[in-house]
Amino acid sequence: MKIFSESHKTVFVVDHCPYMAESCRQHVEFDMLVKNRTQGIIPLAPISKSLWTCSVESSMEYCRIMYDIFPFKKLVNFIVSDSGAHILNSWTQEDQNLQELMAALAAVGPPNPRADPECCSILHGLVAAVETLCKITEYQHEARTMLMENAERVGNRGRIICITNAKSDSHVRMLEDCVQETIHEHNKLAANSDHLMQIQKCELVLIHTYPVGEDSLVSDRFKKELSPVLTSEVHSVRAGRHLATKLNVLVQQHFDLASTTITNIPMKPTFNVCDQEEQHANTSANYDVELLHHKDAHVDFIKSGDNHIGGNSREGTFKETVTLKWCTPRTNSVELHYCTGAYRISPVDVNSRPSSCLTNFLLNGRSVLLEQPRKSGSKVISHMLSSHGGEIFLHVLSSSRSILEDPPSISEGCGGRVTDYRITVVPLASVIVKEALTDEDVLNCQKTIYNLVDMERKNDPLPISTVGTRGKGPKRDEQYRIMWNELETLVRAHINNSDKHQRVLECLLACRSKPPEEEERKKRGRKREDKEDKSEKSGKDYELEKPWQESERLKGLLDREKEELAEAEVIKDSPDSPEPPNKKPLVTMDEIPPVEKTKGPMSLLSLWSNRINTANSRKHQEFTGRLNSVNNKAELYQHLKEENGMETTENGKASRQ
Amino acid sequence: MPTVVVMDVSLSMTRPVSVEGSEEYQRKHLAVHGLTMLFEHMATNYKLEFTALVVFSSLWELMVPFTRDYNTLQVVLVTDGCLGIGRGSLRHSLATCNQRNESSRFPLPFPFPSKLYIMCMANLEELQSSDSLDCLERLVDLNNGEGQIFTIDGPLCLKNVQSMFGKLIDLAYTPFHAVLKCGHLTSDVQVFPRPEPFIIDEEIDPIPKAINTDLEIVGFIDIADISSPPVLSRHLVLPIALNKEGDEMGPGITDDTEDENSANQIAGKIPNFCVLLHGSLKVEGMVAIVQLGPEWHGMLYSQADSKKKSNLMMSLFEPGPEPLPWLGKMAQLGPISDAKENPYGEDDNKSPFPLQPKNKRSYAQNVTVWIKPSGLQTDVQKILRNARKLPEKTQTFYKELNRLRKAALAFGFLDLLKGVADMLERECTLLPDTAHPDAAFQLTHAAQQLKAASNGTSEYAAYDHNITPLQTDFSSSSTERI
Repeated sequence: MKIFSESHKTVFVVDHCPYMAESCRQHVEFDMLVKNRTQGIIPLAPISKSLWTCSVESSMEYCRIMYDIFPFKKLVNFIVSDSGAHILNSWTQEDQNLQELMAALAAVGPPNPRADPECCSILHGLVAAVETLCKITEYQHEARTMLMENAERVGNRGRIICITNAKSDSHVRMLEDCVQETIHEHNKLAANSDHLMQIQKCELVLIHTYPVGEDSLVSDRFKKELSPVLTSEVHSVRAGRHLATKLNVLVQQHFDLASTTITNIPMKPTFNVCDQEEQHANTSANYDVELLHHKDAHVDFIKSGDNHIGGNSREGTFKETVTLKWCTPRTNSVELHYCTGAYRISPVDVNSRPSSCLTNFLLNGRSVLLEQPRKSGSKVISHMLSSHGGEIFLHVLSSSRSILEDPPSISEGCGGRVTDYRITVVPLASVIVKEALTDEDVLNCQKTIYNLVDMERKNDPLPISTVGTRGKGPKRDEQYRIMWNELETLVRAHINNSDKHQRVLECLLACRSKPPEEEERKKRGRKREDKEDKSEKSGKDYELEKPWQESERLKGLLDREKEELAEAEVIKDSPDSPEPPNKKPLVTMDEIPPVEKTKGPMSLLSLWSNRINTANSRKHQEFTGRLNSVNNKAELYQHLKEENGMETTENGKASRQ
Repeated sequence: MPTVVVMDVSLSMTRPVSVEGSEEYQRKHLAVHGLTMLFEHMATNYKLEFTALVVFSSLWELMVPFTRDYNTLQVVLVTDGCLGIGRGSLRHSLATCNQRNESSRFPLPFPFPSKLYIMCMANLEELQSSDSLDCLERLVDLNNGEGQIFTIDGPLCLKNVQSMFGKLIDLAYTPFHAVLKCGHLTSDVQVFPRPEPFIIDEEIDPIPKAINTDLEIVGFIDIADISSPPVLSRHLVLPIALNKEGDEMGPGITDDTEDENSANQIAGKIPNFCVLLHGSLKVEGMVAIVQLGPEWHGMLYSQADSKKKSNLMMSLFEPGPEPLPWLGKMAQLGPISDAKENPYGEDDNKSPFPLQPKNKRSYAQNVTVWIKPSGLQTDVQKILRNARKLPEKTQTFYKELNRLRKAALAFGFLDLLKGVADMLERECTLLPDTAHPDAAFQLTHAAQQLKAASNGTSEYAAYDHNITPLQTDFSSSSTERI
């Protein structure tokens, strides 16, 4: 790709001499409604456009397509020529839009048929065009400034599209000679100037236009090199629609455009703007819309040689289009497609109803996948139409098979077996470790908890990979149970920081449901809490800056915990293993921990005894009796009391004093 | 890029190589030795590469086919540079390659982007003694200069063959290793396939740009905001285990598989930033923007191959300050906290993207195009339909009238203004008795204004002048009367 190719600068030179006021002799009926209305009324006579009107509207259409597809870096300078040259805009980006040009053209108005033809000439415009090509654009300036000593790499090429009514072939020669001479002169001038650039290459496109029904006095000529700097081609075109068609062909050639026809667009006539005439249609019909875009959007078809392209590329009968089928979008889901290119589009027939229905649909934010019709009948989605901020792009989706097909999953590689990084709990995990919490932080934590509750209620899977664990891994409710325990541990580790930390815990405890089988873990939770407490004290200084490290560290602890649990789980879940003995009274276990844990700051004694307990528990599994003991005395045969209907809670309370 | 190895098995490849040692080698053996080295390298360092093997003499045979099809290829041709004689020889084919027709086109250049590497089982002097080298060079030229010829330095022996294939490996099969960084989190990664250098503009900036080996994550953005962006290429980002460095690079590891498996398992249990990043992006539905070089960015995202398998993938945007028009300049993107107000709203219910372009495109601004008569007719009909519903439709009537007027003035189509003025006057005469009196006034007023504009001289013909409705007090007075 070259930024500064010929298509960087386009100069339009349109003849504004008296003869351009002549009619193109192609009539337009504009008084249409009368026909099916009041009888006896003669419709108004059809009107016809002047050569000038045809030239201007065709060149505006050329600019419209160009600006739609290349809103930047492709610039137009518009010049009209009569007794002098009128330059309607500059190379600056602000001047590059249709509105500016239309306003400037309106100010010029149509040619005056009564002006003196002797004073008027297209030559004024051509000279001005060469002059303007020497002027530096802001893009060229920017590139030159950036390249410093390599500034000479910035090219200066351009194209002059001249629409005139020539008298003869020799008249055309004269115009070409004039352009060549002017380039020669101006290149000499530019060589000694900082503000001007020499023209390296200029493409002159001379379009001779004449009224329909007349014989052309000028013959067509293919592109010919007149000098190393100048090439020239001559098109002899009848005015009216023929001229518009010619400029449409040219804009496609000049800017490497290609055409895609979207077919099978379902369209309800209700889309239509309050039209009595069309109300009868209650059915939806399928429409086609032709779009122009850069030809690279078809690069895959060219490569694969798969051309379901209609017509041939003979100039004049230029109707080469690729047909793609509309696929009605089913969802609004956001997906990241593998897209190898995105190209701005311009509808060929911008105001037609099918075109505006399609563009409005897209501008409203819907994307449409496009299917490539294949002879084999297989379905291949090759493109997508999508708008981004009021601009519509044709995305090329990769339809060839990828060399990345069937790669190993990330869970099979490094770190793949520890994929559970507690992503969902992140807001809470990073906030809770702070020394002080704001109200907003607390709210955030609560939100996270509610979110988890919601997920559990909906039975959403937790984002935990089960690849690391052999076999099926823990069941979903198991995963939640593990997650809640870990979360509680994390929060408990920090409740001593402030009341607000406490509030987070309260919220957590209120939210989580506690199935009875949990007792065992609760005990471990207490031990864990100790570890947390210690590490927290030593780590407080860096915790604020490094919440991630903190959660990583926790993760290590939690993972260890999880592994232990997983082992326990395997046995429990196995149908062959006996029911685990449930030795402890449920009520006791449910009551005790909260009592202890909501008491606030722990005493030195409890810290110490917890520490001892932890140390002991590492050596052997604690006897159930000792764990439930009161002052190192365990009550035996508790179940007998229970069976006899005695209050077991008393026991529990006593032990806590 | 997938590789096709094309091996010469013609008789000349069995020519013995004089080696001082006891064993006698043929050129074929040397080729096999070199290829074995290449395949071993791929098996250890380039595991995801796909290869096919074709052998040829006067005919060819596909020994190992690809199981898939591809867009790009690398071709490794192994030959001794004896190009044969007569019809079907390379010399003859090159001489006649211009006389071929479309159906039996010369195979070069390949119809897809490709590199052609020619490994000669001969040294330079030997090739230069005939025109073989010229012919082989022409092959590379025909492939748009994409490729290279390798010859054996010094006498033909295993060692020199090895060094020749070593050069090929260095050139084409070196794995791309990089460090992925996000703040203080890092991970060593291999990027596969190797990102190829990219030329931004062959004229202004002809030096190919290669991506950094430090891949720094500069931000995160929602998938909906980045919105299926066009990319130059995409690559798997594979974390590398950092155990014994020597093991990792050396070709021909002979570790037994059990060892390797346990090593993998250990590596699998060490937390890795890539895994964390992949999981986070997947859960949050986001992509990470990564800096690839000066004014060059890419994105990292979770790519799901199937329901079970997913991977961390990196796509490269086109280099430049603004690769995606809907995101604006990359340099202007920043953390949410830098903005005065959260651009995503307090409840995450809006987005600052996509950016709106300064000028609307033609299809978004109701432009006037009269190239087809139907375009003109539709616009005239709209005016007429509204004219018949005056005074209710006064606003739309004047809006459409002014739109037509502006276009007619710009196109110098003053006859149309006269015509429409005539038409409105006629409508005025056709008004039914029941019509609101305002209708007649507005129609006459509009017709007069159009006529004035069609003369092209007065201030009525100014482009920015708008025809405004005639101020009448029918609405108020008529209600009073009743």
